Amino acid sequence: MPGRGALLLSACLAAAPAAHAAGAAGAPVRVVSMNLCADELVLRLADRDQVLAVTDLARDPRGSTVAAEADGLPVTRGLTEEVVALRPDLVIAGAFTTRATVGMLKRVGAPVLELGVPADLDGVRAQVRQVAAALGHPERGEAMVAALDARLAAITPSRRPLRVLVMRPNAFTVAPGGLGDALIRAAGLVNVAAEIGRDRFGQVPLEAAALADADLIVVDAGAPGLPSLADTLLHHPVFRALARAHRTVAIPNRFWTCPGPQIAEVVARLAAAANARAAR
Amino acid sequence: MNAPVTTLAPSAARRLGTMRARRVVIALLALIVLALMLASVAIGYAPVDVPAAAADLVAGRTTLPALVLWELRVPRALLGGLVGFSLGLTGAAMQGYLRNPLADPGILGISSAAALGAVIVFYGGLAASLSLALPLGGIAGAGVAALLLNALAARGSSTLGLILAGIGLSSLAGALTALALNLSPNPYAALEIVFWLMGSLSDRSLDHVLLCLPLMLVGWGLMLSIAPALDALTLGEDTAASLGVGLVSVRVRLVTGAALAVGSGVAVSGAIGFVGLVVPHLMRPLVGARPGANLLPSGLAGAVLVLAADLGVRLLATRPELKLGVVTALVGAPFLIALLLRNRGGRA
Amino acid sequence: MSLAAHDVRVVLEGRTILSDIGLTLERGHFVGLVGPNGAGKTTLLRILAALVAPRQGRVTLDGHALSGMSRDARARRIAALFQGAGIGWPMTVREIVALGRLPHRRAFAGLSGADEAAIARAMARTDIGHLADRTEPTLSSGERMRALLARALAVGAEWLLADEPVTALDPAHQLDAMALLRAVSRDGAGVVAVLHDLALAARFCDRIVVLAGGRLVADGRPEDALTDALLARVFGVTVERACAADGTRYILPWGRSGSLEDSDDAIT
Repeated sequence: MPGRGALLLSACLAAAPAAHAAGAAGAPVRVVSMNLCADELVLRLADRDQVLAVTDLARDPRGSTVAAEADGLPVTRGLTEEVVALRPDLVIAGAFTTRATVGMLKRVGAPVLELGVPADLDGVRAQVRQVAAALGHPERGEAMVAALDARLAAITPSRRPLRVLVMRPNAFTVAPGGLGDALIRAAGLVNVAAEIGRDRFGQVPLEAAALADADLIVVDAGAPGLPSLADTLLHHPVFRALARAHRTVAIPNRFWTCPGPQIAEVVARLAAAANARAAR
Repeated sequence: MNAPVTTLAPSAARRLGTMRARRVVIALLALIVLALMLASVAIGYAPVDVPAAAADLVAGRTTLPALVLWELRVPRALLGGLVGFSLGLTGAAMQGYLRNPLADPGILGISSAAALGAVIVFYGGLAASLSLALPLGGIAGAGVAALLLNALAARGSSTLGLILAGIGLSSLAGALTALALNLSPNPYAALEIVFWLMGSLSDRSLDHVLLCLPLMLVGWGLMLSIAPALDALTLGEDTAASLGVGLVSVRVRLVTGAALAVGSGVAVSGAIGFVGLVVPHLMRPLVGARPGANLLPSGLAGAVLVLAADLGVRLLATRPELKLGVVTALVGAPFLIALLLRNRGGRA
Repeated sequence: MSLAAHDVRVVLEGRTILSDIGLTLERGHFVGLVGPNGAGKTTLLRILAALVAPRQGRVTLDGHALSGMSRDARARRIAALFQGAGIGWPMTVREIVALGRLPHRRAFAGLSGADEAAIARAMARTDIGHLADRTEPTLSSGERMRALLARALAVGAEWLLADEPVTALDPAHQLDAMALLRAVSRDGAGVVAVLHDLALAARFCDRIVVLAGGRLVADGRPEDALTDALLARVFGVTVERACAADGTRYILPWGRSGSLEDSDDAIT
C-alpha cells in the first residue's frame, strides 16, 4: 500500500481519541468488531448504539450465539476500507484472524484491541473483563463473569471421571491446555483426545474413537442447513453402534468456539450426559 | 498426435523374456496387493486383536472390535485396492489411447466432474440425510461428464478434440467447485471439502465398497477390452481402423470405462492424484511399451501404490492425517523424476 | 476376385475430394496410384480400405458392398499401410509386426500357431528377422518402413493398400520395397500403392491409375497411361524415355512443361 493511502487512513482515524481515554472520559466508545468471538462479547456487553459493525458471521444462527442481537446491525467482511469508513473509536479483532486488515489498521495508528484465545476459565473471565472495560462498561463485565460463575457453580460435575472424546470436525482444539480441555475437566471428565494425540483439527479417526474406550463421544449435532462432512460420519455403521450404546452426546460447535456465557452450557451438557450415563 | 513420445522403457527385455517377465510381474504385483491389503486390515489407529475380532465376526458377535474390523478396516483395505487399480488401469489406458505419456485419469475432466457432483450434493444438504449422498453425487457428476464426452466421441471428433473437451470440462468443473466452496454457508465445511478432495480412505464403510465395486468392475472390463485396440492405435488411427478397430467404439468404451472406474473412485475417496500418471511409467521398463500389455500391471501397481500410501498415512500418524493424494505424489514424483533422468537419452 | 469403386464421390468437410471414380482392381496385379499433390490419392486408398464412406457410390469386394462387411472380416481381407502415423510407443519390431494378426485373434486370446507362422513369414519376407527385438526408436527409416510393411503383410490379406510406401527410403530400399510389393502381387494378392516416383511406378507396376483434381484421368498399363501429353497436362513435366542396359524401358521426369492444369485448385 502506498504511503498516500496510509496517510488518508491516518486522517480518517486521527479524530478518534485513544480507546481507553475515551472510555475514561465517559464518551461512548464506538466499536467495530472483526471476529465472531469478539462479536459475541461486544453484542452482550456494549450498548447497541455503540456497535458500528459486527462480522457477517454474527448474523448466522448456525454458527453464532448472538444472531438475534446482531440482526439489523451493519456487518463487515473484515476489509480495511469498510472498517475505516465507519470511523470507529475502537476495533476489536481476533489475534489470529484478519491479520492483513489488523496490520493495516495498526500501521495507521488506529486503536485495535486484539483478543487472544483463552486457554482456560480464568482466561475467559479475563477476556470478558478486558472487553467490557474497553467498551466503557466494566461493571457489565463483572456481572457477566459473576453469572458465568454462578451457572458453573450450579452444575453438578460428573460423579465419576468418565472418559470423553470430542470428535470435532471444525478447526478448533480440545488439545490439553486448550479451552475445550478445560471445559471437559470442569465437568469432572477426562479428555481422551489428549491420549490419542491427534486433535489439532479435531479430526479423530472413527476407529480410534471406537476403540478409545471412551464413555462419551461428543459430536457437533450438525445445525440444519449447515452442511458438514463430519455429519456423514453420523451414518457410519460403527458410529451408529456407538450411538446405540448411548455413548454419544451432541453439543453444537458454536457453544465451544468462543469465550462467553455459553461455555457454561457446554459444561452443563457434558456433566448431564455423564451423570445420565453413570446412572445407567 | 504425432508428437514424439518420450520413452521410459529401456529395451533390454527380449521377446520371450518380455512375455514371461510380464507374467512374473503380474503375479508378483498381485501378491504384493494381497499382502498390503492384509497389512491394511492389521494396521490401524488403535490396536485391534484381529484374529479375535475376526472370530467374533464369524461367530456373528457384533463386538466393537469386530465392527471396526468389518466396517472400517476391511472397507479401507478393499477401497485402497479398488481405487488404486482403477487409477493405474485408467492412467495406462489414457496414455495408451492418447499416445501421450503425460495423460492421466483426470485428463478428460472426469475426476473434476465427479468432485463437482459430490460438492453440489454436499451443499444441497443431502449429505446430512443420506450417508452415501456424497459418493452418489460424485458418480452422478462423472456420469454427466461421460455423457458429454461420449456425445462428442460418438460424433467422431478427433482425439485432440476429445482432449480439449476434457480440459474444458476439467476447468469448468474446477471453477464451479471453487464457486460452490465460496458460496458455502459453512466456512469450515469449505476447508473440509478442500481436504476431502485431496483424497482419503479414512472412515469409509462397506457401503462405499458395495457402491463402487460393481461400477468399477464394469469400467475395468470396458478398458481391458480395448487392449488390442490400444496396441493397434500405436500405428495411428487409419492403420488401427484397417485392422478392424472400431474407433468410435473404442473411444466410447474408454470414456465410459474411465468414468465408471475413476468417477466412482473419486466419489468414495476424493481425488488421489499422480497414481494414474506415474504407474504406467514405472511398469513400462518391466513389461514393455505395448500399451495393451501395460493395462493389467499398471492397475495392480496402482493398487500397490495407493495401499502403501494409505498404510503410510496411518503409520506416520501425523495430525491431522496426511492426505493420500499428498503421499502418492511424495512417493511417486521422485520415482518418475529418477526414471526420466535415467532415460533422458532414451529416444532419438 | 476384385475390389471395385462404383461411381464414387467423396465430400469431406464440404469439399469434394473425389468424384466420378469408377475403378475395378484385380488380384495378382501391382497397381500404382499416381497424381500430383492433392489429387485425392490417399483418399481413394482410404475409400478402398473402407476407412471413409463415400458420399455417393459404393465400394465392393468380390461384388459385396464393403460397408456391409464386419470390421474384422474386412480387416482380414484388406490390409492397409499408411504413412506418417509413426509409431506411438517404443514397441519392439516383433510386437509391431504381430499387430497385423489382430483381425484374426479373439478377444483376450494370445497368439496362435498360425499367427506365429504368419509373423515369422512376414518378417522373413521383409528381411527384418534380425531386428525382432529392437524397439522402434532405434530403427532407421528403412528398417521402420520394412517393419511396417511386414506388419501389413502379416495380416495375410488378399489386398494390400499402401500409401507412399517408398517415399522416405533411400534408393536401395526403394528398389527393395518395390520389388517386394511386386512379388506380393505375384503371389496372388492385389497390391495398390500410392506412389510419387513416376520412374519407379512405371517400372514396377502392372497398371497405373492417374488421379487429378479428384478425378480419374488415366488408367492402364504404364506405357499407355503415362503418355507425354498426360504427363505434361497432369504433372506439368516432360520425361526422358530410354532403355536400360537390361532392356527394360524406363521414364525419367526431366523438365517442367509450363503450368499445371486444373489439378490443384479443386483440392488444395
